[in-house]
Order: sequence, then structure tokens, then C-alpha cells
Amino acid sequence: MALIDLIKPEVIKVPLESKSKEAVIRELLQLLVDAGRLNDFDTAYDALLAREAKGSTGLEDGIAVPHAKTDTVPSITLAMGIAPDGIDFQALDGKPSTLFFLMLAPPDQSGPHIEALSEIARLTQSKSFCRMLLRAQDAEEAAELMTEED
Amino acid sequence: MEGPIRNIVVYVDGTEEAITAAQYAVCLAKATGAQLHALYVINTRALNDLVKARIFLDTEEQEYHRDLETDADRYLNHVDKMARRKGVEARLDKRSGTVHQEIKKKIEEIDADLLIIGELSHIRSRRDEFYHETERAMRLVQCSVLMVKDEERVWDLYDAIPE
Repeated sequence: MALIDLIKPEVIKVPLESKSKEAVIRELLQLLVDAGRLNDFDTAYDALLAREAKGSTGLEDGIAVPHAKTDTVPSITLAMGIAPDGIDFQALDGKPSTLFFLMLAPPDQSGPHIEALSEIARLTQSKSFCRMLLRAQDAEEAAELMTEED
Repeated sequence: MEGPIRNIVVYVDGTEEAITAAQYAVCLAKATGAQLHALYVINTRALNDLVKARIFLDTEEQEYHRDLETDADRYLNHVDKMARRKGVEARLDKRSGTVHQEIKKKIEEIDADLLIIGELSHIRSRRDEFYHETERAMRLVQCSVLMVKDEERVWDLYDAIPE
């Protein structure tokens, strides 16, 4: 499962309206519900918070990758949010997070799950790419940047 | 005279497409008499990358590694059953490492004539050309590569073989 297959404008929010970690997770999950990709909001939310309780998925340089295994989705599911002003996600470097990649995967799809997360890790290593993403005006532009359709 | 295909490797990665590829590989092995090898690679490279990027905690890495071991056994056993059902012997191989490199090694070790893989996604980015493991394996191996498409037709082919 390539990242390109998961990224569609309907699962991208630009800009995020939330101001806290829990609210960001809820806002991104709601995107998935609205896009028809998630039915059981509460179970997915609990799974994500349980993972966050073990250690924040707010990384360095504004990147956050909240993720969880859950059988509330039939296949790997991704939502993305951009918050140019930054949101406190208890990141490792203490800085506000600006780019959010929320991923849910069924427990029996660990292989594709790991590959998709790995692709996000590679992608976000490019500071210039992250800067471009941060400047995206809307979901369509962000999706286009992610899929490199040129 | 020996046929053009003696050793087939089918790469199984836990996707639906890979299962279809395995079905086709069974059909081809049955028709040609070639030896079928099914390979699953536990992507420890990706696991390590996620720990380095701090997306995974150490405990999470161990948990996912166990999951991948279980997946590998499950999918390889599934291929084994599919093959046995049609009177074909499948040699199963579970490895760990960087996927495309392990596929290449396997091909070289058994001097395989053909690598069979599942269908790749229709829309591809330039990024995938560099990073998609199956895509990389396809470009890297020395033998011919067959990408299996048309799931329904493959099902029909497989079903048509007497058990």
C-alpha cells in the first residue's frame, strides 16, 4: 500500500482549527468519518490516545505521526492536517507541531502499515518539502504535493 | 529438453495482490513442472528506520516484529495450502532484512528463472520508483519478472486445475 493511494483531498485539513493534542486527533478522525473511511470514532480515538500515553508521537521539527493498530478500519487509513501556527503536541523537541499524519491500520496488516509509516518518515526528512507543505493553501494543493503528480 | 522455467520465486508481502500472484505462480508451476519457491521478507530495515525516526518506541518495534513474524508464517502457510491443493510443492522461505535486497539474494541463490510479483498500484509517484520495495526488486533482479494482473481471471485459472 503506497502512501500515494491513501492521500486524497477529503482526508486533508488545511488549516487545522484545533488548539490541543486531543482536539487535533478528534479533528483528524472526524475527517475520516466524513470521508466514509471510519465508523467507530470512539474506539479509534481510544487506541490513538493509548499509544500517545506511552510516548508522544510529536517528533522534531513540527512533525507529528499519531498512529495505532485498530480493527475499526478495514485497511490502512491516513488523515493529514496542517497547522501553520503550530499546536502543542508534547513534541520531543518541545516545539509546536505543524504537520500531522494520523494513521490507523488493522492488526493483521503490519507489513503495509510499517511501509507506509516508513514512507512518511522518509518524506518528512526533507525540510524543503515540509516547508512547501506548510505553505499549501488548501487540501488539493497539499494532496498534489504529496503525490508529486508531475 | 528442459522447459524455459525451472525455478519460480513468488514474493508474498501480505497484500491481496501478492496472494493473486501466488495463485498464478501455482498455475504456472503446475503447467511447466517448475519448482515453486514462496518468499516473505520481514522488513527489518523499515522497522529500524521507524525507531531511528522516533516514530516507534522500542517496545513498539518488538511488538511489530512479532506481528510480522506471525504474518510471514500465516501467508506462507496459505501459499503452501494453495499449492498442495493443486498437487504442487512450494518451498517456503522466511527472511529478514531489506526487502529488495533479500529478493535479489534469493533469486541468485537458487538461480531462479522467474520472479512473480503482485500488481503494483496504477498511479505511481517518482518517489515510489526509488523507495517501493517490490518495484525496486523488479528493477534489480537479473531474471525475468512477471507481474500478475486480472485477479478474476487468475481465480478462474486456479480453480480450473483439478485438485
